[in-house]
Amino acid sequence: MEWGPILRTIRRNKARFGLIAVEVALTLAVVVNCLALIAEARVKMARPSGFDDDNLLQVESTPFDEAFREEGYRRNGLRVDLETLRAIPGVRSVMNTGFLPWQGGGSSGTFKVVGKDGPSLRSQLYNADEGLIDTLGVRLIQGRSFNRPDVERDTERLRQLFASDRPRGPDGAPRNKFLQEVVVSKAWAQLAFGDGPYVGKLLEDSDTDQYQIIGVFEPFYNPYAWDIGDYAMFYGNLGSSYEAGSDFLVRAEPGQAAGLMRTIEGALVKQNQLRTVKVQLISDVRDNFFGPQRMIVVLMGLVAVLLVIVTGLGIVGVTSFLVTERTRQIGTRRALGATMVDIVRYFLLENWLVTSIGIAGGIGLAVGLNLALLSWTEGAKLEVGTVIAGAVLLWLLGLGSALVPSLRAARTSPAVATRSV
Amino acid sequence: MLAYQLRIAWKSLMRNPGHSLIVAGGIALGVAVSTLFATVRHSFAKDPIPEKSDSLYYVRMDSWGPHEGYPGDTISPQVTYQDMNGLMRSDIPVRQSGMFKAQLYVFPDAKIGRPQREIVRLCFADFFGMFDVPFKYGSAWDEKADKGPEPVVVLSEEMNERLFGGENSVGRSVRIENRHFRVVGVLDRWRPGIKFYDLTQAQVQAPEPVYIPFEFVRAMELRTAGNSDGWKSPDQRGFAGFLASETTWIQFWVELPTAQHLERYRAFVDAYTLEQRKGGRFQRPLDNRVTSIPDLMKELNIVPKEANATMVVSLLFLLICSLNLIGLLLGKLLARGSEIGVRRAMGARRLDVFMQHILECELVALAGGAVGLLLALGGIEAVNLWTKTMFQRDDFFRIDWTMAGFAAVAALVAGLVAGAYPAFRVCRIAPAVHLKSQ
Repeated sequence: MEWGPILRTIRRNKARFGLIAVEVALTLAVVVNCLALIAEARVKMARPSGFDDDNLLQVESTPFDEAFREEGYRRNGLRVDLETLRAIPGVRSVMNTGFLPWQGGGSSGTFKVVGKDGPSLRSQLYNADEGLIDTLGVRLIQGRSFNRPDVERDTERLRQLFASDRPRGPDGAPRNKFLQEVVVSKAWAQLAFGDGPYVGKLLEDSDTDQYQIIGVFEPFYNPYAWDIGDYAMFYGNLGSSYEAGSDFLVRAEPGQAAGLMRTIEGALVKQNQLRTVKVQLISDVRDNFFGPQRMIVVLMGLVAVLLVIVTGLGIVGVTSFLVTERTRQIGTRRALGATMVDIVRYFLLENWLVTSIGIAGGIGLAVGLNLALLSWTEGAKLEVGTVIAGAVLLWLLGLGSALVPSLRAARTSPAVATRSV
Repeated sequence: MLAYQLRIAWKSLMRNPGHSLIVAGGIALGVAVSTLFATVRHSFAKDPIPEKSDSLYYVRMDSWGPHEGYPGDTISPQVTYQDMNGLMRSDIPVRQSGMFKAQLYVFPDAKIGRPQREIVRLCFADFFGMFDVPFKYGSAWDEKADKGPEPVVVLSEEMNERLFGGENSVGRSVRIENRHFRVVGVLDRWRPGIKFYDLTQAQVQAPEPVYIPFEFVRAMELRTAGNSDGWKSPDQRGFAGFLASETTWIQFWVELPTAQHLERYRAFVDAYTLEQRKGGRFQRPLDNRVTSIPDLMKELNIVPKEANATMVVSLLFLLICSLNLIGLLLGKLLARGSEIGVRRAMGARRLDVFMQHILECELVALAGGAVGLLLALGGIEAVNLWTKTMFQRDDFFRIDWTMAGFAAVAALVAGLVAGAYPAFRVCRIAPAVHLKSQ
């Protein structure tokens, strides 16, 4: 092996070899941080909701006629809508709910465990009906979900509750306590009560109205501010108002969701034309929610690929230059008996050494850059695997890029050495 | 002298156009990528209304309950209806407006289409003056219309296009929900960067298509289509209960032209809060915030963290592009050794040779920068198309003059990075060596 001559050459041409090393180091640092950003975005995108997202649709019905101001008219229409939706072939399950998965928010409230002091806890809170478990496609792990009579009863109780003012006691809380049955996500039950069983447990809100768990399901994830994506409580209520209309989640038989969009809109509008009906696929809502992440994956991927190409070409350029500069020496070596393989090996070894120095520096630089990004922009944290993958990639890139000029060098004829001396 | 140097540079570049093209291409690529990401960040970060950034203030107060504050160690981003009314009694601001958005049905002429739910902003007449909103036809409504409230409406250019085919519709009537509103103004194209006057949701959306006087909130019993946060359920039922409640759902802005106004106004808000405290409200430590737009943007982290990280990465990309060109430019040195030897022998100083080479590089860099800027323009359009479904807006990301300047500076710096070392090497060529071997 020609370690001696290689080391001496490198020492004499610090600038040129240094250039390759710096390029490799910087490229490694940037590529690895691109990959980290991509990986972080992908982790976010890979988090499942736990629902049958691909077969779910959301239906929004919003009235524009004064007739809908009357509660009885609305409730009646809502029941007809539910029957209409359930009767559509290809519809597996339907629920009336204000919950829209992957919307990036929703509604929430704060609660305390009854009889326990301490800061109140925040959970998402939505209405649902007896279609809850089957429509979301989640598993009931404790207790039971709502049945039709529960929903009818609770809807009526809530209607009465909101129909008149509530007299309040000296502590500001209403005098008559209201008890609401809820079906909750497992993560929320765990947060509030530690280990189960949870059925029968009580929570209260700031008005000291109480919420009693009748069932627990998993999984549940709906991204929300304040990190409450895993926490959810559903209460039985058929919800409709003049301003917000009424919303439904529809679970289609596998593969039929997209085809049902038109059918659903048509069927509902046929029931009552004095409203607009908007149908959207939950998979589209999710894609929209992850739009920025998908953009990062594509754009950072593009940057990483371009960078590898540019650096590869750069190494080809510098190595070519080194080869051209040493044409005479190569000819001399060839004339003195060096084989073509010797010449290729020489240049590849030289390049490997320089690339390795670059990679060593690059790993440090990558970590430094990552720390800088983390502190300044809360960038993505670097994983060891990513760094190793990046290092291997650049080793291959270095060797691959040096191979072309090295082969050219090997083809140098020994006769060149004797010319123009 | 410069003309002579330019001519030499041109000849030198044209001697090997392929080589020059590669160098220009490398810089174009670097400039395109860095300008693209810098523009993405800039579109969030730039001051949306620079002429007014030291006179517009957003008002918040900590009206939360005595036991627990607003989640996340901050205060509610909006104010209650009762506090808006309390604050608006002040005559210190030269202009002021509470505002919110609602989703309301707008009924076009039956020939044009079915009614559609539109986002409508409810605000006071001062809204248009304080935010320098441009009018194409007509004008804002007046304070009398605020008090009435009179059924008047201002339409965006796009909404006027849809409802009235773009003609001057001032004086015509538009049905919103079950009422008829008279058009008093049509906006000219109004596209501030972020929707600064309402940063609670969808900050990159375009301004609303329809504006009506705030007080219709009572007459039409409207609820916000934006966020509402509260800590206590209303004491009374129904709409009156909602208005009188501790729920915060209104964005409140004031225009305070001088530092004295600001100081007096802050004192006023504190005094108002202390007065309310006597009635049992505002039991938390005094925390009122009267915040300028730049400070508000910082506090709310308007620039996404990813935009910062990707911009840093793209600048490093540019640096690597120009580092890679060093090798190429060094290669050129070999071919030109003899020519430079002759120039040096004829009396050119080292500095002359150095500057000559830098000039050459910067010429190529500028050409590359121009191409890079064009590529970035194309890239931004692609990004805009892509984000249209996300933001319902296809012109959020824009390359303005600041970004064009950024591209030019980026190109020049890249040219310098690529060219400085080769130029340094070139000017140190000893004339004798090259003259000998000819």
